[in-house]
Amino acid sequence: MRTKKIMIHKDEGLILSVESLNEKLFKLKIYSPVFSLMAMPGNFCHLKVNEESFPLLRRAFSFHRVEKDKGTFELLFKVVGLGTELLSRKNPGEKIDLLAPLGNFFSFPRKDEKIVLSAGGMGIAPLLFFLNYLLEKKFNPERITLFFGVKKEKELILLDELSAMRIKIHLATEDGTIGFKGRITELFYQELKERRVKLKNTMFYACGPTPMLKKISDISKKHNLYCQISLENHMPCGIGACFGCVVKTINGYKRVCKDGPVFDAREVILD
Amino acid sequence: MIPDLSVGIGKIKFSNPVLVASGTFGYGEEYGSIIDLNKLGGIITKSITFNPREGHPPPRTCETPSGMLNAIGLTNVGVKRFIKEKLPFLRRLRTRIIVNVAGSTVEEYVEVVRKLEGKKGIDLLEINISCPNVKEGGIAFGSKPESAYKCIKAVKENTSFPVIAKLSPNVSDIAEIALVVEEAGADAVSLINTLVGMAIDFENKKPRLSNVTGGLSGPAVKPVALAMVWKTAQKVKIPIIGLGGIMNTQDALEFLLAGASMIQIGTGNFVDPECSVKIVEGLKKYCEEKRIKRIGNLVGKLKTK
Ligand SMILES: Cc1cc2nc3c(=O)[nH]c(=O)nc-3n(C[C@H](O)[C@H](O)[C@H](O)COP(=O)(O)OP(=O)(O)OC[C@H]3O[C@@H](n4cnc5c(N)ncnc54)[C@H](O)[C@@H]3O)c2cc1C
Ligand SMILES: Cc1cc2nc3c(=O)[nH]c(=O)nc-3n(C[C@H](O)[C@H](O)[C@H](O)COP(=O)(O)O)c2cc1C
Ligand code: FES
Repeated sequence: MRTKKIMIHKDEGLILSVESLNEKLFKLKIYSPVFSLMAMPGNFCHLKVNEESFPLLRRAFSFHRVEKDKGTFELLFKVVGLGTELLSRKNPGEKIDLLAPLGNFFSFPRKDEKIVLSAGGMGIAPLLFFLNYLLEKKFNPERITLFFGVKKEKELILLDELSAMRIKIHLATEDGTIGFKGRITELFYQELKERRVKLKNTMFYACGPTPMLKKISDISKKHNLYCQISLENHMPCGIGACFGCVVKTINGYKRVCKDGPVFDAREVILD
Repeated sequence: MIPDLSVGIGKIKFSNPVLVASGTFGYGEEYGSIIDLNKLGGIITKSITFNPREGHPPPRTCETPSGMLNAIGLTNVGVKRFIKEKLPFLRRLRTRIIVNVAGSTVEEYVEVVRKLEGKKGIDLLEINISCPNVKEGGIAFGSKPESAYKCIKAVKENTSFPVIAKLSPNVSDIAEIALVVEEAGADAVSLINTLVGMAIDFENKKPRLSNVTGGLSGPAVKPVALAMVWKTAQKVKIPIIGLGGIMNTQDALEFLLAGASMIQIGTGNFVDPECSVKIVEGLKKYCEEKRIKRIGNLVGKLKTK
C-alpha cells in the first residue's frame, strides 16, 4: 500500500444528487474540485451528516468514483444506522462538511502483473474506483479478475458497468440466485486451490466485511499471497490523532485511519 | 477596540484561553495541515508515560447519544521517544506546549517529569491523575485526596515547569481534590477528565468496548463539567481550566462564566477539526461586540441571584 505526503483538507462539498439503488443502497454525488483531484483509490473521506450533536461523530466513506474534469466524486453507501439514514435523505443543493483525502491507498501493479480483486458487498465501492483508475492508466483488462459476492441478488449492483470493462468476473450470492452459491471467499479459495487463479506475478486486493477479510487474511498467510485489504473501524478523528481505530498486527497496534485503511493481509490479526 | 484575549497561569502567558485537550490532538502534527496551530492558546499532548504503552485491544471507542466512550489505554510513545521524535515539531510552534504526564505510581510520574525537566519547547505540565482507563493507577491518584496531594507534591518538587493538575469527575467531591492539589502546589487545575461509562451491544450481549468500561466525553458531559467547574471555582484561588463537551463559542463562554479562566477542546476536534480556532475567533468577536476589554473580565461572572 502506498502513502504520500498528502495534505488533509476540510472542504464544503455541494451535493449534486442522491440516487437510491435499492431500499438500502445509495449513491451520493458531490461537487468538490479539490477532493476530486486529490483522491486516490483506497482513500476515504470523513463527513458530518448533520449539524447537530446527535449523531455526533463523522462518518467514513471510501471514494467510489471520481470525475476530475467535472470536479465531482461519488460515494456508494448502505444504510445501516442513523448516520447513513440521514445521509440518504440529503437533497441536491445541500452543503456537506468533508475532511479528506484520508488514509493510504492501494499500490499499483506493474504492467506485466495480473491482479485479482475480491469484493464483498459494499467492498465494491473503493474497488470500482481502483478498476476505473487502472483502466484509465491503460492497464490491460485481460489481466484483471474480479470476485464479487453479495448476500442477495438485488445487492449485485454495477454489473453493467463491470461487464463493459471486459475483465474476468466471478459472481457469488449466498442464496445462490446468481453465480456461485455461497460466500465469495469460498469461491475464491476454490479457484485458488484448483489453480485457476495463479499466484505467480499476481497482486491480490480485497475489500468487504471484516469476517470476509479475516478469511482472506488467513488464506494470504497460508499461501503467502501478497494481498492488500482495506479495513474498516470506528473512527473518532479519522486523521491519526486519537488512537481509537487501531487493528492488531504482527507489528503491534496500527491506526486504520492513518497507517491504513489498506494493509498487507499477512500483517493484520483479525478476530 | 481590539479585545485582550490573553490569559496567564503563573508567569506563563497565553495569547488566548483556548487549548486542545490531551488525547484528542495526538502530538500536534496531525492537525497541522488543517488548522493554523499558532492560533491556539496552547496544545496539550497525549498523556506520556515512562515506557511506551500499546494500549487496550480494540474496540476502543464507541459513539453514544451526543457523546462517545473511549478506552484507549494511554497509548503513547514513552517519554524518551516523545522528547526525541515529537517535541522537535512542537518546539517550532509559536503556541504554548503543555505536556500531559501519566503514571502508575508516584515514582513513575516523578521519573517522567525528571526526563522532561528543562527541555526546550515545553511550557507547562499537565498531570493526569484522573485517567479512568488504566487499572493499576491514574484514577486512584485522582480519587483520593491523600494520593492526589502526594502525587502533585512529588511532581512539584521535581520540576521547574508550572503544573496543572487534571482532575477526575469520578469522585464524590471534586472541589475537595482541587483544594488539596492547590495546597500541594499546583499552579492550576483542569477539569473534567472523562466520566466512567459503558455501552452494551444488546443483540450479542457483549460490551461495546474491549475494556468493558470507558470514559464518556462530548456534549453529553457538558452539564456535569459546568457544575464541577462552578463548584471548584467557589473553593480554589488558582486558575481553573474548564473542559467537557465544548463544541462552540457559546459553550466556551459558559465555562468562563462558571469560573474557568481557560478552556480545552477535546471531542470537539473530532467533530470539527477547526472547532478550536473557530472558538478563538468567536471569543474575539463576542468581546468586540459586547465591548469587553479583557476576556478575563468574564470569568466567574455567573449571576447567581
Ligand atoms: C475507511 C472506511 C471506509 C468506509 N467506506 C464505506 C463505503 O464506501 N460505503 C459504506 O456503505 N460504508 C463504508 N464504511 C462504513 C461506514 O463508515 C459505516 O457504515 C457508517 O459509519 C455507519 O454509520 P451509521 O450512523 O449509519 O451506523 P451506526 O451503527 O448507527 O453508527 C454508530 C457508530 O459506529 C460507527 N460505525 C458503525 N459501523 C461502522 C463501520 N462499518 N465502519 C466504521 N464505523 C462504523 C459509526 O461511524 C458511528 O460512530 C467505511 C468505513 C471506513 C472506516
Ligand atoms: C479518545 C480520547 C482520548 C483521551 N486521552 C486522554 C489522555 O491521554 N490523557 C488525558 O488526560 N485525557 C484524555 N482524554 C480526556 C480529554 O482530554 C478530556 O478531558 C475529555 O474528553 C472531556 O472533554 P471533551 O468532552 O471536550 O472531549 C481523552 C479523551 C478522548 C475522547
Ligand atoms: S480515528 Fe483517531 S486515530 Fe484513527
